[in-house]
Amino acid sequence: MTDDSDFTNLPQAETVGKKRARISIVWIIPILAAVVGIGIAVQQRLSEGPTIRIAFRSAEGVEAGKTSIKFKEIEIGKVTGVNLSRDFSRILVTAKMEKSAEGLIVKDASFWIVKPRVTLSGVSGIGTLLSGNYIRFEPGKSRETGHDFVGLETPPPATSGLPGREFVLRSDTLGSLGIGSPVYYRRLNVGQVISYGLAEDGKSVYIRIFLNAPFDRFVTSNTQFWEASGIDLSVGASGLSVQTESLLSLLVGGIAFETPSFPAENNAVADNAVFPLSSDRATALSPREIDAERYALYFRGSLRGLSVGAPVDFLGLPVGEVTGIFLAYTPGERSIRTRVEIVTYPHRLFVPRGTPDATAGRSTTTREGRAFMQRQVSDMGLRAQLRSASLISGALYVALDYFPDAPNAKIDWKPTPPDFPVVPGEMENLQANLRSLFGKLDRVPVEEIGNDARKAIAALDRTLVRLEGETLPEARKSLETLDRTLQSANRTLERVDGEIVPEAKKTLEELRRAIASAERVMSNTDDTFLGPDAPGRQDLRDALREIARAARAVRALADYLERNPNALIRGKSREKP
Amino acid sequence: MVLRQRDPIQRTWALIIAAAICYLPANILPVMTTQTLRSVVPTTIIGGVLRLYEDGSWVLALIVLIASVMIPLVKLIVLAYLMITVQLRSERFRRERVRMYRMLKVIGRWSMLDVFVATFSVALVQLRPYMTVVPGSGVLFFTAVVILTIFAADTFDPRLIWDSGENAGGR
Repeated sequence: MTDDSDFTNLPQAETVGKKRARISIVWIIPILAAVVGIGIAVQQRLSEGPTIRIAFRSAEGVEAGKTSIKFKEIEIGKVTGVNLSRDFSRILVTAKMEKSAEGLIVKDASFWIVKPRVTLSGVSGIGTLLSGNYIRFEPGKSRETGHDFVGLETPPPATSGLPGREFVLRSDTLGSLGIGSPVYYRRLNVGQVISYGLAEDGKSVYIRIFLNAPFDRFVTSNTQFWEASGIDLSVGASGLSVQTESLLSLLVGGIAFETPSFPAENNAVADNAVFPLSSDRATALSPREIDAERYALYFRGSLRGLSVGAPVDFLGLPVGEVTGIFLAYTPGERSIRTRVEIVTYPHRLFVPRGTPDATAGRSTTTREGRAFMQRQVSDMGLRAQLRSASLISGALYVALDYFPDAPNAKIDWKPTPPDFPVVPGEMENLQANLRSLFGKLDRVPVEEIGNDARKAIAALDRTLVRLEGETLPEARKSLETLDRTLQSANRTLERVDGEIVPEAKKTLEELRRAIASAERVMSNTDDTFLGPDAPGRQDLRDALREIARAARAVRALADYLERNPNALIRGKSREKP
Repeated sequence: MVLRQRDPIQRTWALIIAAAICYLPANILPVMTTQTLRSVVPTTIIGGVLRLYEDGSWVLALIVLIASVMIPLVKLIVLAYLMITVQLRSERFRRERVRMYRMLKVIGRWSMLDVFVATFSVALVQLRPYMTVVPGSGVLFFTAVVILTIFAADTFDPRLIWDSGENAGGR
């Protein structure tokens, strides 16, 4: 029965169990797996940032799945695809950005490929040598989200977020400037060139510069910019001048600026204000064209040596420069003239720099100004003249000076620019003098002079003929007399030779004998006479002295005879000692 | 006689479904992330297979494909097939089904190969800062797939295959 009771019990228990239809606890595992899976999927979905496309001209070193997009050296995205654009002109880089960077990706954000760059002004992107190129991202200022971008070919200068301002410079040429070229203010590096391009009309170049914060306020409406690129070496009428800003700018070029102190009105300028860029400092700091006055000068004669930019001096002070050299032909005139246009800066002329009262006599646009200039010209003789600045270079300059003796002239205000009277230059003067000299020489009556000379010579000839006819016979007579005199003199001398010379010979022979005997005596009396106290010594000395005296007398006689041979005949003359 | 587990069918189904759920992210999410100086490259299982194939070692690619992709999938399908036939009380191919089940239990653990490879790579390739390998979340799901299928195979009671015939007699 126990078996029975068992059997009855078991099915009951089983039925209860079966009826419960209980769910196993194991089902937690798939639910957990599903929850985790879904959780990860949702997280993945939520963390997925926007997908963007960037167009590059070339995608050097960009690889799908490897190249990252970085902002402040932090990865904010990854390139997922590199494709050619439909027209094959560009590379379209598809990139998946991170969710956290979503707010940064605005319409004017910029992208560029960072690769190692070695320029004269610096080395950048060295890290990419190891890590490979990556795409740099720089957020923009717009608020709209963008999806399609055009990548930059060159990295923008690292100016975003820096305090400072941008300005635009206009120039004829770019010179040796480039992106990153420094901007100097009093030789401090205060900014850099951030971009450049050709103006729309193609006639000038605009250069965008960025000035760092404290320095941008030194830019006012009067600020002058100039190119400090390289060495500025110029040989002008004022000599050789070499200018350079710094060694770096020597290599990579640069821009410098300065605000001249003399114009009083210095207004603040807005961002992106446009300034002209001068080629050098002197041009930049020379006063602006508004203050300039233009004149045209008509010279007669060669302008060789005069160049555009040559100085215009007033009493030795530079007051302007030559702006143009042309040939001019006026229908009324017979010949073609040379026309030189100059510009002068009247406030340099008449008002010292820095004086606030810069308006007096300043501009010839006013009636007073014109009258003043006219008086200077007509009453005082103010004229323009070409002068040579250097004999070596042959450079000419225009001088304004007073020539009180110059013929009357006036400024002709009618044409633009007005005509300013000139006087011939020094070279012209020299030429004129030479010309007049030759003219005078031309007028000399050479033929008449020749005729006169011939006449004179003929007269001389006649005189000589008469001289020959009358004077010469007398002269011959005189000469014959002279000859006779000389012959008699000759005879006299022959007699002297025959009679007096043997006598003299005899005298000399006697003298020789006397000397020989004296010699003999001396050799005999060596002992007696040569002792210091010898008695005969004194006598001997006297004798010798006598002999010497006799010899001297003979010599004197001989000399005398030699000089005056006639003394032998006529005796010693009384007058001569 | 081994005691029968409670609710074997439910348990097995739960484990199979859990494994199937995990199978998806295991193949989608990266199992490894290789960080070099140049880049951070996440690799999924399929990606690894393709990489191996592209590199020319298609034998290795085949091994990994079979061990990591095919075997878990085959296991899931086979288990599901066994469960369905059991629940349908099918009486056909009972012998073949038992053989299939035995094979399943043998090859099941070979799927752990991938996990080993990943673990070893992560442990060994730590050439900071030049190259490191970090495990991806996919490897967790992959491990879960392998373990869950092993458990599912374990909880499956092959005797169930034979149950249907006897049930006619009362049980």
